[in-house]
Amino acid sequence: MIFQKASPRPTQEQMLEHAHDQLSGTDEVETVVGPSVNVEGDFASEGNIVVKGTVAGSVRTSKHLSVEQGAKIMANVKAGGAQIAGEVKGNIKVKDSLELTSTARIMGDVEAKILVVEAGALICGKVMMPGLEGTEAKLNRQTRSAPAKKVEEQFQAMQS
Amino acid sequence: MYVYIYDNFLREKKYASVVKAMEVSLTDYGIAGKILRLNNYTDAKPIIDDEIKRGAKTIVMVGNDQTFGHILSRAATCECSFGFLPVGSNNTIAEVLGIPSGVAACEVLSRRRIERMDVGWMNNRYFVAQLHIPPAKVEVIYDEKFKVTANDKMEVVVCNLQPFYWKKNNHGETQVVHPQDGKLEAFLRPLTKKRWWGYTYEDPSIFPFEEMEIRGAEPFTVEADGKATKEIKVKIKLAHSKVEMIIGKNRKF
Repeated sequence: MIFQKASPRPTQEQMLEHAHDQLSGTDEVETVVGPSVNVEGDFASEGNIVVKGTVAGSVRTSKHLSVEQGAKIMANVKAGGAQIAGEVKGNIKVKDSLELTSTARIMGDVEAKILVVEAGALICGKVMMPGLEGTEAKLNRQTRSAPAKKVEEQFQAMQS
Repeated sequence: MYVYIYDNFLREKKYASVVKAMEVSLTDYGIAGKILRLNNYTDAKPIIDDEIKRGAKTIVMVGNDQTFGHILSRAATCECSFGFLPVGSNNTIAEVLGIPSGVAACEVLSRRRIERMDVGWMNNRYFVAQLHIPPAKVEVIYDEKFKVTANDKMEVVVCNLQPFYWKKNNHGETQVVHPQDGKLEAFLRPLTKKRWWGYTYEDPSIFPFEEMEIRGAEPFTVEADGKATKEIKVKIKLAHSKVEMIIGKNRKF
């Protein structure tokens, strides 16, 4: 064993390269609110946000918001897309898709274009989807315009 | 015209051969110039300003991370290009700039690949690589909009050029985050008490920002580019494209 060829020890550069490779997929820096950190105020970001701690005030991002299990948000939330596994006390407005996992607890109104709710998620509030608003308005217009057409037809028949 | 600022530690005998070889190489490339020696208590800005008046166009720092921080913390606003020749150990900034250590750095300098770099501004001086606040009871206010606090002490690292490394778990796995250009990144690591004694680091929080303020109830240590001071309130800003720097092909930003 004395004459065994010593295995080459990785140099610091190699270790750093290895570490960089591990994170190569997530090289883009995003805002992360870590556990046991409290954020108060208007929390706005242009990039993705990951919340693992507590946020109070308001949260705004044009990109993706991820609220992890154990995280607490006591604020109104506006985001491009969101995945929620923690607790949110406040209204949520999401432009694209909102995903609620089984551990999600939401106390407030929810507005999203696409809503995915896993079994076990709790919502206490109103759910609105902007896709339906247009069709409702169309239906209302149709029902309103239908009797008017009938009256016009009757009037034309009387004249003839 | 090139002016070379040598750090004081280069007087040591063990660096004599490297310095000699570098001087020969610089003469070969035709970029040799005046040599000045830096002392610990000298402010680099008036010296550089004097040399610029005499016609210097490029100021080359010769030494390690500390030399780099010492000179650029005051002289970042000077109207000239900066070069760097790393010598000896403790040269992490050179690695980020893509400048090899020793004689090989002379070739990078001769190629004059110039890039304008953002620098961080802290109270009344600049930092280029990193600002570090060892664990202390502080609160951080970002862009005057939101405040970040921790239950106990918190370590703060603000990165401009230098990547942030931290050990993710006990197996020694290292995580790296490379800072973005055009923003400063703040990494906050709160400490939580571990059973009877000692503290453990929590996962870091990451906030990209352009302006922030760190306040403490008691004075806390601030290390900007390896230079430590005691502060009670620190205002940190990003100064866009402030420094003109000669960098290597293998730069990491």
